[in-house]
Amino acid sequence: MAIGDKVEIKAWEKLGDFFRGRSIWMMWYCTGCGAIEMPPTMTSRFDMERLGMGPMATPRQADILLITGYLSVKTLRRVIYSYEQMQDPKYIVAFGSCTINGGIYFDSYATINKLDDYLPIDMYIAGCMPRPEAIMNAFNELQVKIRNNEVDGWKRYKKNYDQYKANQMKAVGEVFVHDEFHE
Amino acid sequence: MTNSMSNLKGLLNKHYQISEFEEPIAMELIFDVRNDQLLDVLAFMKSIGFGQLSLLTCIDWIEKNEFQLVYILMNWDSGIHALVRTAVDRDNPKFRTIEHIYPGVKYYERDVHEFFGVEFDGNEDSFKHLFLELWEADRPMKKDFDPEAYSEKKYGMRKYRTEFPRKIGGE
Repeated sequence: MAIGDKVEIKAWEKLGDFFRGRSIWMMWYCTGCGAIEMPPTMTSRFDMERLGMGPMATPRQADILLITGYLSVKTLRRVIYSYEQMQDPKYIVAFGSCTINGGIYFDSYATINKLDDYLPIDMYIAGCMPRPEAIMNAFNELQVKIRNNEVDGWKRYKKNYDQYKANQMKAVGEVFVHDEFHE
Repeated sequence: MTNSMSNLKGLLNKHYQISEFEEPIAMELIFDVRNDQLLDVLAFMKSIGFGQLSLLTCIDWIEKNEFQLVYILMNWDSGIHALVRTAVDRDNPKFRTIEHIYPGVKYYERDVHEFFGVEFDGNEDSFKHLFLELWEADRPMKKDFDPEAYSEKKYGMRKYRTEFPRKIGGE
């Protein structure tokens, strides 16, 4: 059998997913009020680390981008920037009702309504706000899905890249982040 | 402290003929000034100890067809807050910068220009965006701007079927 044969790659992927599903490193992008549910999830009361998930500092080392709450257009630009820095395989968990349909900010001129127009979402956690139990439950389900090789958000993003890019352009105009203090 | 408040009122009345004051709470003084008086009044206020400009903000009075600019000042010696208000025309919103009196106002003027469209002559940065990057539509904080229509047009609303449980004890 030649190197790079399809079966072998699939087996390697399965092995990778087996281990990956048991150690999830997530970067949370604390955009909205939902970030306040993360400290109790992380610290001693609920202690998510015993379930195999931990915080990570930079997008390049993280597996999961956790988007906690509403996204203004300005923030969306930076989220896309961070997401494209992450390495495959990468997953997005959208947190709170604002990421689903805009939540209470559905009529705001500054916040987007449907996050899945711009980035591929692997799992939603509904609620305003979801409790730490809901977060851990969702991550457990995500772990099972990763182990079963069912999560394919990053593949969908690559496949439908033009469509996602067109949506992004419509909302944010330009993904590049300008910074008047450092340019 | 009331002494310094009445003292301040007396000074403003003497130099700028301002006679109407509001005091909604203790140690807070609100008064309106004419457009052309504002820079003088602010420079005077700074000279008598109001060293801090806490905020510049704007209110859209659409029935009166004017924007009201509110300068909030604070005196750290006497603890008095002063709200100096002035009005500019809503159809042609132009005013002068006070950057040479309070340099920190630079960013507030950008803010007001961004959300209400008031142009501040003399502030070179006031045309740059501060919060809304690449904004193209009308000024969002004006009363005649419809944020819901804008949101629907630009970001799209999610269509979904809503089901409500039948009323308990109804017909």
